[in-house]
Amino acid sequence: MNVREWALITFTILAQMSVGSFIVLGIVHYFVGKKAGEKQADELSDRALLAIGPVLALGMVASLLHLGNPLNAYKAVTNLGTSWLSREIFFGVLFAVTGAVFAVMQWKKIATFQIRNLVAILAAIIGIALVYSMAQVYMMPTRPSWNLVTTPISFYATTLLLGVLAMGAAFVANFWYVQSKNPGCASEQCVLLRDSLRWIAIASIVLLGFQFVVLPLSIAFMAASGAAVSAAMFVGEYGALFALRLVLVFLGAGVLGIFVYREAQSAGHERQMSWLAYGAFACVLVGEVVGRFLFYATTTHFGLQ
Amino acid sequence: MAKQLGFHINSSVCANCKACQVACQDKNNLPAAIRWRRVVLYGGGGWVEKDGRWMPNGVFSYSVSFACMHCENPLCVQACPTGALMKRADGVVLINQDQCVGCRYCEWACPYGAPQFNEAKGVMTKCNFCEDLLAQGQNPACVDACPMRAIEYGDIAELRAKYGTLAEVEPLPSASITLPHAVVTPHRNAQASGTGTGKIMNLPEEL
Repeated sequence: MNVREWALITFTILAQMSVGSFIVLGIVHYFVGKKAGEKQADELSDRALLAIGPVLALGMVASLLHLGNPLNAYKAVTNLGTSWLSREIFFGVLFAVTGAVFAVMQWKKIATFQIRNLVAILAAIIGIALVYSMAQVYMMPTRPSWNLVTTPISFYATTLLLGVLAMGAAFVANFWYVQSKNPGCASEQCVLLRDSLRWIAIASIVLLGFQFVVLPLSIAFMAASGAAVSAAMFVGEYGALFALRLVLVFLGAGVLGIFVYREAQSAGHERQMSWLAYGAFACVLVGEVVGRFLFYATTTHFGLQ
Repeated sequence: MAKQLGFHINSSVCANCKACQVACQDKNNLPAAIRWRRVVLYGGGGWVEKDGRWMPNGVFSYSVSFACMHCENPLCVQACPTGALMKRADGVVLINQDQCVGCRYCEWACPYGAPQFNEAKGVMTKCNFCEDLLAQGQNPACVDACPMRAIEYGDIAELRAKYGTLAEVEPLPSASITLPHAVVTPHRNAQASGTGTGKIMNLPEEL
């Protein structure tokens, strides 16, 4: 593992987290808006929305470190006809631009609610296409451990799991920010925060289950598709790291998720709930980074190298 | 001009002297770590005990010289995000280093290890069929260097008419992936790609 590979880990994790966060944020905003009105929904989620931009930007800057000749980076969208890498960069830039347009419109309340909604849905669809093309980049016949249907599925699982827990942490951070500015005004926000966190906890537990179905399947597919060497590494030289990855994701999305749900059921436990939500996000983030490290570390090349 | 240039590799007479590899590096002024043409030594077999004596059992080895196959289906060209890699009218796959972003994605895509990264320049390099020599009516350096006359080049249709269509012997990958423009005359012990019982015998720094 060198700087170039860490650049790819950083880029893919942060870009997927941004897409997942954007989608989760949209869903939460929709339901909170329906329940408590647009103003309360904006109060809950607008600052979280603005946090997504820098995360995506950081990921894209990291991706430049992967290049031997970054001065030519702007040329990397010129082969959209056949290159999935071109398409990935294209959708990445398009997602960043559409997302930024939406963020500015939402922040400054430009145009009507319906028009903003359309822009947000467009950005979300581009984000889904981005994650799809990210997976396609790795699906080539010379890389049997990547050229599997589980690659896009696990990328989407990571996208949603990180998105859900990142937004849980962001809502909590936003809540304490609002509290510190104007204590007492946030009672409605407090109820909405607890409602959102309960759903976030449920979603993270469901996604954990999904992740834990995809993971063993992906390794079984490797073993059956000419990447037995890669499959063996998950219990061989990288066994401890793979176990760590499983434990961290289980701990974050599962165990802490249950506690977040419990603490979010009644008022007065916001502080405990908040630390649990931060902890869940941190565990899953580290777990997913380790998982992505293993994705690159266990791959083998088919043919001569 | 040929419709599609290709190589004929006569593995049955190759002596693994690596003159082609050295000539290529010399002519193209390549750093030591970059080898556009390489000679792989493939072998296997072992010893069995019979009536108290150890006897050789199926011991074999043979060599295959290989470089970029200037494929019909060049995965490197398809993968390249900048279009720096292209397939010329005569079928030669070339890289334009001014366009290359150094992402090394072509390196992942190629089953022959043909595109190789130049760490100092931050861009990819690959076999260019000695296009400058071809333009002067001369042969590629590897062809002229071989003391066994085991490397030939020309229009792939003519080479195939002369030598057949075999392009997959161990340890080369299956030809179905990229449809390489090479013809191999196999060594008598050659094994088909994907069914080999041997392994690559080169030292890591040799290959």
